Formats: sequence, structure tokens, C-alpha cells
Amino acid sequence: MGGVEINGPKILWQIPDSIPLIGGQPITETMRNAWIVMLFILCLCIFLTHRMQKIPQGKQALAEKAVQMVDNLVDSAMGPNNRAFSPYIATLLLSSFCGSLASLFFMRPVTGDLNTTLGWALITFALITVNKIKFNGIGGYLKGFLQPVFVMAPLNVLSEVATPVAMAFRHFGNIAGGLVITTLLMAAMSALSRLVLGFLPVPLLQIGLPGVLSVYFDCFTSAMQAFIFSMLTMAYVGDARSAG
Amino acid sequence: MGNFMPFVGFTPWEIVVTICNTLITFLIVKKFLFGPVRKMMAAREEEVQTMYTSAEKAQSEAEKLRSDYTERLAKAKEEAAEIVGSATRRATVRSEEILKESSQQAAAMLKKAETTIEQERKKAMNELKDEVANLSIMIAGKVVERDVKQQDHERFIQEFIDKVG
Repeated sequence: MGGVEINGPKILWQIPDSIPLIGGQPITETMRNAWIVMLFILCLCIFLTHRMQKIPQGKQALAEKAVQMVDNLVDSAMGPNNRAFSPYIATLLLSSFCGSLASLFFMRPVTGDLNTTLGWALITFALITVNKIKFNGIGGYLKGFLQPVFVMAPLNVLSEVATPVAMAFRHFGNIAGGLVITTLLMAAMSALSRLVLGFLPVPLLQIGLPGVLSVYFDCFTSAMQAFIFSMLTMAYVGDARSAG
Repeated sequence: MGNFMPFVGFTPWEIVVTICNTLITFLIVKKFLFGPVRKMMAAREEEVQTMYTSAEKAQSEAEKLRSDYTERLAKAKEEAAEIVGSATRRATVRSEEILKESSQQAAAMLKKAETTIEQERKKAMNELKDEVANLSIMIAGKVVERDVKQQDHERFIQEFIDKVG
């Protein structure tokens, strides 16, 4: 019975202390995988928009469809005249979806690290705050915390701060939870296999159930969380922009 | 090896890296996906617009040509009608003229013929009178068997004939 180990992202390398400012900081598995995902996105974008023609064909139609879909999503969630946000929403969708699906390619999912989702959530928080100030003025923004009565101010501040934290933990929790469950299930199946079918050289029961569950925990949850995170970002930022 | 970050950890350094990564990804997506696609769509829209504009122009031109032709056709018809009308009028006038002339000519000829006939008749009548006078003198001479002065007889007969008609 091998011990089941569930760890955080592995530290691959430590930046030497001799380098100022970032010396001593770790390069983790998450970062490496994130860079792989970024490279994949870069290749995907270049491939899709390579040799574009007036009359779309194949991959170009796919690229245009994707852009239109994101544009429509932004239009419906944020209202008109907000298409400048489309590339960022597409970035979130792609990064989140591909980052989660990295687990299908034997990599630790990028979104299975709280720092990743918290980073995105902080960007969303910054967008919300900047847009609120931009559309209401700094006074209007601060006054917003006193609505509907000034006693609510602490709660309003709390809810404002809770927004990115909730988003980050929701996404991270879903992916990390899937990771934990899948790991546990694999270990359990391995143990069961050894117990029941001990005469076989391979843990046969690992084939089947974990794969089926993986469709839910990896594919479905990845798509779902990417969509939810993007939708929430759009909803909050759109709300901030329309408040003025 | 064997060094792991905490499973649920909060590391500012990693968050900074994530934000930088996201910014870079954003630029990638914007530059390599949205940029070309938006450009292509704009170009296509422009082309369609151009096509529409040119088609509209061509249509209006055709419309103009059509109305032009219709107008010209109508004018030509009018002109033709005018030409035909004037020709008909002229022909009518001319035929009337001819008719009048011919009738005049006929009348003149008739008159001349009547005159000639009258003259002939008078001439014939005179000849007949002379003949009758001579004949009467001859007959009377034979009947009376006496010598009558011819001049007297001629005078009597002449008077008689004149009385008779």
C-alpha cells in the first residue's frame, strides 16, 4: 500500500540569490505549465490566423467564429460598446480552459494553484475598481460604500474584497478538488486492484472509473470554471461601467 | 527534487508572475487573434460596402439610361407622327388643288365645245336657209312658169322664212 501523497506544485528551480530583486524566488511547476500553455495559445493564435483570406475557410472560419462568440458574450454580459474587453475575456477563457486541461497532458493544472486564480481575480478587482472610479469619480466610488445607509460601509467593503477572493477560491477549489479526488481515486483503485486481482501485474481497475470521472472533473469542470470566471468578470466590470 | 509549494498557498511572487503571464497572453491574443480577425472582418465589410455602393451606382445609371431612352423614343414617335400628319395634310391640299384644277379644265373644255357646237349649228342653219331659199325659188319658178324677178322672189321668200322662224 503506497502512501497517497497530494502536494502543492513542485519547485523546479530556485532563482540564484545573486540576482537582485527576484533572487531566491522559486520557479514552480505551475509557472512552467503556465508558460507551456501560453506557448500553446500563441501557436494556436498564429495557426488560426495564418494566411487569412477574404472568404473564410476552415481554421479561419473557426477563428472568426470564436472572435464573434466572445464579442457576443461581451455584448450580452457587459452591454454594447465594451468590445475592447473582448481580447481580455478571450485571454481568460483560453488561459483558464487550457490551464485546467493541462491535466490531460500529465501536467499539474495551472489553475490548480491558488496563486494563479488569485492573480486573475486581482486583475478583475483592479478592473472593477478602476472602472468604478472612472465612471463615478473618486467621490462617487467612495460614496458607493455608504449605500444604502452608512452603517453598511464595513459590509460593503467586505463584499468588495470578497468578490475577487470568492472568484479565486471557486476556480481553484474546483480544479484542486478534482485533482485531489482523481488522485485519491487512482490510489484507491490501485489498492483495490491489488487486493482483488493481486495476481495481475498491472492495477487493472485503474482503467475505467477514473477515466469516466475525469471527463467530469477535467473536461466539464475546466470548461465550466473558465466560463464562470469570465462571466463573473464581465458581469462585475460591466456593472462597474454602467453605474455612471 | 522533493521540494513542494504548499497545496493552498499564497505567494506574492507567484501572483506577480501570474499577472505578468496574463498580460503577455492578453497581448498575444489581442495581437495574433483579435487583430487579424478584426482587420479581416473590417476589410470584408468594407468590400461588401464598396460592392453595394457600386451596384447602387450602376443601378441608378441604368435607371437614368432607361428613362433617357424612353424619353427619346417618345420624342421620336411624336416626330414621326408629326411628319406623317404634315405629309397627309400636304397631300390633301394637293389633291384638292388637282381636283379643282381638273374640274376647271373640264368646265372650260365643255364651254368651248358648246360654243363650237353653237357656231356649227348657226352655220348649218344659215346654209340650210340659203339652200331652202334657192330651192323655193326654183320650185316657184317651175310652178308659176312665169318669170318672176328673182330679186323680188328672194325678198318674199326671205321674209316668209324669217316669219316662219
